[in-house]
Amino acid sequence: MADKNMVTIEIDGNSVSVEKDTTILEAAQSIDIYIPALCNNELVEPYAACRLCIVEVDDGRKTKLVTSCNYPVRRPISVYTSSEKVLRNRKITLEMMLSRWPNVQVIKDLAKNAGVEKARYQHPAVDLNSNACILCGLCMRVCEQGIWENIINFTNRGAERNVRMPYDSDQPHCVGCGACAEICPTGAITMADDPNQPFDAEMIRKAGMRITEEMIRYDEEQCDMRGVGTAHLVEIMDAYDLLPVMNYRYGKHEETPKISSDVFRKHFTSGKPDGCWLGCTMACAKAIENFELKTGPYKGERVLVDGPEYETLGGSSNMGIFDPYFVAEYNFYCDTYGLDTISFSTGTSFIMECYEAGVLDKEKTGGLELPFGAKDAALELLHQIGRGEGFGLVAGKGIRYMKKYFVENFGADPGFVFDIGMEAKGMEYSEYVTKESLAQQGGYGIALKGAQHDEAWLIFMDMVNKQIPTFEDKAEALHYFPMWRTWFGLCGLCKLPWNDIEPADNAETDEPAKVPGHVQGYCEFFEGVTGKPQTMDSLVRMSEKVYNFQRVFNLKMGFGRREHDAIPYRSAGPVTVEEYESRQERYDTQLKEDAGIDPTGMSSEEKVALTRKHREAQYEHLLNAVYKRRGWTNDGVPTVAKLMELGVDFPDVIELVKKHGG
Amino acid sequence: MIVVNGIALDWHEGKTVRDVIREMNYLFPLLIARINGKFIPRNKYDSTEIPDEATVDIIHLMSGG
Ligand code: SF4
Ligand code: SF4
Ligand code: FES
Repeated sequence: MADKNMVTIEIDGNSVSVEKDTTILEAAQSIDIYIPALCNNELVEPYAACRLCIVEVDDGRKTKLVTSCNYPVRRPISVYTSSEKVLRNRKITLEMMLSRWPNVQVIKDLAKNAGVEKARYQHPAVDLNSNACILCGLCMRVCEQGIWENIINFTNRGAERNVRMPYDSDQPHCVGCGACAEICPTGAITMADDPNQPFDAEMIRKAGMRITEEMIRYDEEQCDMRGVGTAHLVEIMDAYDLLPVMNYRYGKHEETPKISSDVFRKHFTSGKPDGCWLGCTMACAKAIENFELKTGPYKGERVLVDGPEYETLGGSSNMGIFDPYFVAEYNFYCDTYGLDTISFSTGTSFIMECYEAGVLDKEKTGGLELPFGAKDAALELLHQIGRGEGFGLVAGKGIRYMKKYFVENFGADPGFVFDIGMEAKGMEYSEYVTKESLAQQGGYGIALKGAQHDEAWLIFMDMVNKQIPTFEDKAEALHYFPMWRTWFGLCGLCKLPWNDIEPADNAETDEPAKVPGHVQGYCEFFEGVTGKPQTMDSLVRMSEKVYNFQRVFNLKMGFGRREHDAIPYRSAGPVTVEEYESRQERYDTQLKEDAGIDPTGMSSEEKVALTRKHREAQYEHLLNAVYKRRGWTNDGVPTVAKLMELGVDFPDVIELVKKHGG
Repeated sequence: MIVVNGIALDWHEGKTVRDVIREMNYLFPLLIARINGKFIPRNKYDSTEIPDEATVDIIHLMSGG
């Protein structure tokens, strides 16, 4: 059956079928027919400035010369790329170009190919520079369409026409990405060299440019980081039952669409790239402009909100609040008070569950009614924390403090508050539900700084792909990824360009989860700065030294042993009957298949207890495997042998680990 | 019947990779599909039909903070 969207044309006698609206140039390139195309580049829209790509088109009625780079194929036609008319015309164009830019290499080469050795006249605006600008417009198009900036443009007319930054000045908005210089066919644009004297600036720029090119080509269809930033994860996490809802009890909610990335794209987030650093073309930071505050010390003022990112949104669903205005308001005030949106939202989710369970009431909170979804009270609590007043004084100290405080002062059941208070090593959990991924429970629990996912995010690998089924597989992932991600911290680099954009051939590599093409890029960044060549293994080795040293530091500070890698049970499984019953089919099946227990006829209470027993044992097994893989004792202490192997066997370090059986 | 990421799914003639992704509600964009170990590029998800009894892997990469 003929596809309506396909058109078959002939190019120099070869027939080719292409999608409607493909340009003649693209069609020719698809069957390796060469057409010179100086002002064209796949990264940008055609511009038809140079006229070198002309071809002759016969539509059955008449023939005409057209520029192939912007001529869309819509019906069957015959194309001639080297007819006499075409060649003559191209020669005239090239002679004119050569007369104007006689020393520019690309022009000289193209002219020579066309049989023009020398221009027979001199152009009135001749430019003898070998890097002369030939007015192809590629730079300004890549800046505008590729980078979403609009920094450079043509100025003047006729012979004076040239590419310039406005007012010929340095532009504060130029991100210095170098895309214009890279795409320029003559070298007319050069980047001012880096003041901090890297070993090989070119190597760094080339590695960066590969990421920039991927961003231009693939970001929109991949993560849309430039469009909405990490907010795109809200709807994804909801779809996989991983978005924390009501203190991690559930993983999705019917109101999630109210705070999904689409809402922020439409109503708030300005459609401009916004990078944390000059030169970053991922530019995933997002802002809400002109937002009118409803509460707090700046009530009534219009402000710029920096965000929201995924965690801030996931924090909101965790508090049972699905209101984009609330998100913007709490985002702004957390930033303004110097609070972390994760700690605030996870802490408040805990408070809300305690409130609903009767651990807290209005009297204990100093008048705040704080069930899930209480957005006004949540904001009031935030302001109290900011001011250091009232119940804010307790809440602001974090979950670890609150658990103890509620037990000692309000008679809370310690079992309950310790099960649902989502912190490890004193740090609040970030916003992912980990119940169905044992590896991720380890990712949070073992992380040196506390319950953060930035050492390892393994939920998909583990729960969805089922790529790491055994304890040893999980331990290997909990070795490689934390080491690799620690390396970003060591070098002060952002992790997002590593795996929030993906090279075209990533899927076909041996280990796509590691994104080997990008690891190679980071090796080049390091070598470009220091002059020392690197491999994936040598980078990981750098981290391993520091990581083990940090573990010893934790040990010294009283946080470096097995007991400190413990997690609240809510992280591993359903704490309450209600929670169990909300996913009953899943948990029943797992009891049967994973734990070998037939749940038929059991009460939910019994099943909760048996599930717990099984899952807690699994977690202990996981710790054993991870410690073994890392060269630590079964108590989680780096061994002397490991520290010697890594060259961090300083006398006081050895003395300390020996004291703890290392 | 086919098995997708370890989960059994019904099979019918003409079921494509895209159909499976939809059925599983796999919203995440960074996917790698394999049918019986053979890699299927993203632009072929609509046109690649899955044979009965196939083992399908839809590998999710990672993204986010
Ligand atoms: S360096 Fe980047 S932002 Fe600056 S003018 Fe060139 S393309 Fe535009
Ligand atoms: S500076 Fe380079 S890329 Fe820009 S118009 Fe001139 S020749 Fe083309
Ligand atoms: S490439 Fe078509 S006009 Fe320049």
